[in-house]
Amino acid sequence: MAPPDVHHLFHHPIADHSFSADRQTLAVARENNVDLYQRQGGKFQLKDELTGHDKTVTGVDIAPNTGKIVTCSQDRNAYVWEPSPQGWKPTLVLLRINRAATCVRWAPSETKFAVGSGARLIPVCYFEEEDNWWVSKHIKKPIRSTITTVAWHPNSVLLAAGSTDGHARVFSSFIKGVDARPEPSAWGERLPFNTVCGEFLNNTAGWIHSVAFSPSGNALAFAAHDSSLTVVYPSAPEQPPRAVVSISTQLLPFMSLVWSSEDEILAAGYNCEIYRLQGSEQGWQLAGSLESKGRPGMQDQREESALNMFRQMDLKGKVTDDTKLKSVHQNTINTIRSFEESAGNVRKISSSGVDGRIVVWTL
Amino acid sequence: MASLNWRTINIDALDPDSPANFDLSSLTPAIAPVSTADVQALASQIRQLLRGGDSEGALQGALENPPYGADDKGKDIHLATVIEILQSIRQSDMSPMLSRIYSSPGGPEALDVLMKYIYKGMSQTSASSTTRNIAPQATGFSQIHSRGGGEGGGQAMSVLLSWHEKLVEIAGPGSIIRVMTDRRTV
Amino acid sequence: MSQSLRPYLQCVRSSLTAALSLSNFASQASERHNVPEIEAASSPEVLLNPLTVSRNENEKVLIEPSINSVRISIKIKQADEIEHILVHKFTRFLTQRAEAFFILRRKPVKGYDISFLITNFHTEEMLKHKLVDFIIQFMEEVDKEISEMKLFLNARARFVAESFLTPFD
Repeated sequence: MAPPDVHHLFHHPIADHSFSADRQTLAVARENNVDLYQRQGGKFQLKDELTGHDKTVTGVDIAPNTGKIVTCSQDRNAYVWEPSPQGWKPTLVLLRINRAATCVRWAPSETKFAVGSGARLIPVCYFEEEDNWWVSKHIKKPIRSTITTVAWHPNSVLLAAGSTDGHARVFSSFIKGVDARPEPSAWGERLPFNTVCGEFLNNTAGWIHSVAFSPSGNALAFAAHDSSLTVVYPSAPEQPPRAVVSISTQLLPFMSLVWSSEDEILAAGYNCEIYRLQGSEQGWQLAGSLESKGRPGMQDQREESALNMFRQMDLKGKVTDDTKLKSVHQNTINTIRSFEESAGNVRKISSSGVDGRIVVWTL
Repeated sequence: MASLNWRTINIDALDPDSPANFDLSSLTPAIAPVSTADVQALASQIRQLLRGGDSEGALQGALENPPYGADDKGKDIHLATVIEILQSIRQSDMSPMLSRIYSSPGGPEALDVLMKYIYKGMSQTSASSTTRNIAPQATGFSQIHSRGGGEGGGQAMSVLLSWHEKLVEIAGPGSIIRVMTDRRTV
Repeated sequence: MSQSLRPYLQCVRSSLTAALSLSNFASQASERHNVPEIEAASSPEVLLNPLTVSRNENEKVLIEPSINSVRISIKIKQADEIEHILVHKFTRFLTQRAEAFFILRRKPVKGYDISFLITNFHTEEMLKHKLVDFIIQFMEEVDKEISEMKLFLNARARFVAESFLTPFD
């Protein structure tokens, strides 16, 4: 297994990150701006800054095919940035929300995107040709609290959302004229806008940090603040799900998760490590961490020479340097995303965290 | 009416749609109410087990049936039962017993419940013994008595603290997180 | 460290580690604001159940977690009136300089002697385990400090009394 590719960009939290389709450009949300980095050799060089938001940027997503970047922020706005000869050109999106926007994701079709918000609704935004503007339609019911995360089904109609009211929900975001009528699936057959296709709550009811559909779209996983991970397998429209598998871990909560295949999920969060979970409808279990024990830098710490030890005690007055964690990330991991896929399986993932690091992991 | 200060009215509290009026009951699955008599019956059953020397069975029985739906009195009775069991188990038996419960089916949940009772037990100190709170001398200059007076409830606490330590070793910080998030209180 | 202090601090440590899982969260009640939810208390669903860790009825810690902030309140051991006065003066000294301590709260929660408020911005720029270490170290040191001050005060009082009463010999 190749060692993780670590890039320490700066000493600020990275709320969200996104790579372009060719993986050469990296967009990271840093405070009120979005920084664009270009890969040069083995390093990322700061190339451009997208300024315009005046509060913390909470979400950034690059559409793989069109290259458009969508950003959203706690200042209640979202912008779509398009490349032009004069640099990146922002277009304000008409979100019509009166609280912070918390997350944003392009639909796989790239004709629309969904924004989570603290106004207890999800604006689903699409481009109106006539007015030359991005407009939104609101998913409202039955959301009772801030939306913390959204994720798209591969068919670009179904949308999963997690909220601080402890519920993970699956909605239909079908917009006439933008979407083609979707194939009926286990989630639902007729899907007018704002249909609730599923609503799930854990017994221990933590707020939801992350939701994700499996690659086929036939299962939904969500991670909550009660350190649990739940996978839901729907049976048929309007029926209770075939199986709901929930595992309560011994770890701190997960903040983000990615399906690497139909039977494996990668999850990361407050433990600062990425964990592998494996299973199926019959049950899921934790299958260990991605941190390899023999990483360079770890040995040095263990095989400390006596001279070095005494020098440490003399200079710093302490026995061991305990300001560094043993994991690659030194603080909470906020986002993990798929970096490289082949034959339907994720081969590499990228992670970003509060410590300002971007790490690319080979599975 | 004239004396009512309109500026101090919290208008958020009056708006049913305001975030301040979030319905917390929507965070819990439906809980069947449990009567105090049922809790009492369970408590005496568990005491029977305890007297028979089967403290592990007693603990498991108590943790598998937490009276989420009971009123405050019922919950207090069950808390007293759990604490009695915890106090009857020797320190050296704690870890093996906890790992056996953890690996049994439904074990992780049982340990989450135990964690809830440990925290609940620790928050109950003032109610159990307030009598020894007063300093014997108003001048406070004597140093002889200063240790003994403050240790009220210390014995019971140290039992709970050592249980807590053993429990974290087995169930991890995840179980503490679940005590905080779970709206079904014990 | 005394025998019963260690499990107490260990318990505080693990509870704090769990409670300090914070994330950035903008207010739901007022737009364009980002406030510690535990202080604002404007949305009940983002507050978690408070935890109490106690060693005995005079020494306990209250941890009140929420989505983006944690309030930690410590009740310091006060065995008699002198210790009570010393603790009061000591915590007053600290809270008056709260801005220099970043995480110190200006006013303790009712029933406790000193409170800390840790928000997600603190856990972002400081190491989480070091924050926990700081609280633990504070709890260790404060007991030591108070009993030292008490000994010093008694010695001084004795000396003063002796010199005051010498003329009356």
